[in-house]
Amino acid sequence: MTKEKVIPLHMIPDVGSEIIEVGHERYLQTNEAMFTFYKRTKGEHSPFFLALKERKVILGGKCPKCKLVRVPPFEVYCPECNFAELELIEMPDTGVMNSTPPITYFAHSLFQQQVPFGRGRILLEGADTALPIHVYTTKGVLTPRIFKKGTPVKIVFRDQRQGNPTDIFAVPLSELKAPQRRKKGLLESELDWASAKEPKISRPTKKTREHLGVVVDQLQDLAKTAARSERAQKDLAGWKRTIQVKTDGGPFVIQIAQKKLKFKEGTVKKADFVMVVRDPRLFQDWMNFKGSLTNAIIAERLWINKNVEFVTVFKLDRIPRSVRRSNA
Amino acid sequence: MRDVGIVGAGITACKGRWVERTYYGLSQMAVKAALEDACISTKDVDAVVYGIYNDIFELSAIPEHPLQGIIGMANKPGLRVTSGGATGSYAMLTGYSLVASGLYDVVMCLGVEKATDCFDFTSQTSTPEVIKTIGWSGDTFFERELGWTASDSYAEVVLAYMDEYPEDLSDEVSAKITEILCEHVQNNPYAQRYGERVTAEMAMNSRYVVYPFKLLETCVYTEGAGVILFAAKDKAEAMCKNAGVPPIWVTGLGASNEHHVAGKDLRHKVMHRIMSDHLAAKAAYKMAGIKNPLKEIQVIELHDAFIKQLQITMAEMGFTKLGRSDDLVHKGLMTAGGPLLVNPSGGLTYGGHFVGGSNMFSCWSARRELISRELHRGLIHGTGSTIAQYGCVMIIERRS
Repeated sequence: MTKEKVIPLHMIPDVGSEIIEVGHERYLQTNEAMFTFYKRTKGEHSPFFLALKERKVILGGKCPKCKLVRVPPFEVYCPECNFAELELIEMPDTGVMNSTPPITYFAHSLFQQQVPFGRGRILLEGADTALPIHVYTTKGVLTPRIFKKGTPVKIVFRDQRQGNPTDIFAVPLSELKAPQRRKKGLLESELDWASAKEPKISRPTKKTREHLGVVVDQLQDLAKTAARSERAQKDLAGWKRTIQVKTDGGPFVIQIAQKKLKFKEGTVKKADFVMVVRDPRLFQDWMNFKGSLTNAIIAERLWINKNVEFVTVFKLDRIPRSVRRSNA
Repeated sequence: MRDVGIVGAGITACKGRWVERTYYGLSQMAVKAALEDACISTKDVDAVVYGIYNDIFELSAIPEHPLQGIIGMANKPGLRVTSGGATGSYAMLTGYSLVASGLYDVVMCLGVEKATDCFDFTSQTSTPEVIKTIGWSGDTFFERELGWTASDSYAEVVLAYMDEYPEDLSDEVSAKITEILCEHVQNNPYAQRYGERVTAEMAMNSRYVVYPFKLLETCVYTEGAGVILFAAKDKAEAMCKNAGVPPIWVTGLGASNEHHVAGKDLRHKVMHRIMSDHLAAKAAYKMAGIKNPLKEIQVIELHDAFIKQLQITMAEMGFTKLGRSDDLVHKGLMTAGGPLLVNPSGGLTYGGHFVGGSNMFSCWSARRELISRELHRGLIHGTGSTIAQYGCVMIIERRS
């Protein structure tokens, strides 16, 4: 079994160079990286991370003078009290959201496969500072309506822990049963994870078939203009995907290959991922800047079966604007 | 403290990618433009302050060292300032201080950044790798591994503000401000999105990148450089007379860095406030003798990393009340014909955001407006680091 690497192997490019032409001039660019490996000490933070890893316990740092409780215990001394030494204490594993947490849909390159994800801060009972933490729902895709300021949450521990901030995450207390709420050191494997189910669609009617026909015609027009747009071709460069789209008006297929888009009614034997949308006219809104595919997913009007394919959705979302900018 | 004036400014075009230039070349372009603007040469400049935010962007741990000679400043003092998104503002604060203190008479502040050489080979695009590069700026023990980004940390502040003031920051107002900035940018041929037309409707319907931030309400990533030249009173007056432009005086400066950890009170970060902006503006107003910023300032170049953050910052700086930032549009404070000209450059959202030099870009624009429109007073703002931790405000004036 291949061990996980500190730099994911798939991210590492080959040694190489290429020539780019701008105007009539040629410019050279080379594949490079800035990397350093570490055996990095967690120093004074070690007790906190060791407590996560070995004891499934959250530690805080309490000032003996002002009684302020800092979680995590990010400092040894209290700067408010002439640097009095903090005392490490065990904290409860329940608390509330300090504020509404953001949800990331467009992540940096190391987190592309994890979107959408939420990163918030929780005030554990008795704490004066908020602990940064991932927030998860056990009920499917994370949407902005789940976590708000003051939402009661419980910390859950990963089954496999390394002594990292990702060893723990928070779930809404309301999603847990009473024994789970009471249990100290609740494990990820003890949660009931609902798997996302493909939404049901209706059989096509004459009207919905017509809608689909009109939409696919317009999408094919978009594909033609995108093929003439340098910006759109740049958006699609190096990307190859076949997407099966299921709608109430019937299925259609989106293909991305060789910097081009293709749309056709029907099905394919093998798709990279599936989109389900009841009303195909959602794609008209997309073409006309009345709504992005990303926002449709967030609003639960469009469903995809692989979150990792958000990256493809982002590429598609760029196309209408790139086409317009090329035509401007 | 001596009076300090701005005697020249120059910027490069803001581009999403400069294939044709490295950051060496961009620096030379901006220095050349600023010196020509001031009608002086490097012989007249005593020292240089570099604003370069991120070593990784430039692929060098001392990215300023090759610039010293190629911008004609060999054998003179040079130091680099790096303070996250507020790098440019802090570099100018440093440049001003070197002159005001009497140590040097003329100081050049050069801000430069090369960001989109970064490339994610998996998605075959730059942006995820640019965001990752900025991601190394978060708390490396407790937050980086959670996927910290500049966007999600500023989103935390904005969402917390929305928790406190649920009736403020409507999507309609944010979209309208976006449209206003896009209209302004048509007057700035150096801008990255010059010529692009974005309506409020397009902004409203653009996709979320990090909830509640939408793509068209988020700053761009830019490559470029900008230079501001500061001079002591006597030299500033002589240089400006020679160049045929009025000196623009720096009359106020303020800065504040908050705690990076969120907590219940001001001993830590109070998440729904941007106290850094509030305290920086307060200090700058005191130094400049400003009592009512809404009545006494005409031009604002505000570091609009995100439109909703722009709105909160405007409230924190006293142009409207906290919880009433939608009045920027509802009461016409920054709409056409209103009392405030906000981000005439197009801001960082439409003008450009080459991090180390973005605030020089803002300063270049504010000075341009004071001179061309014969206005009295301008404000330049920089924000940066996690959860809007850093704030820096500079007041500039044209004296009649």
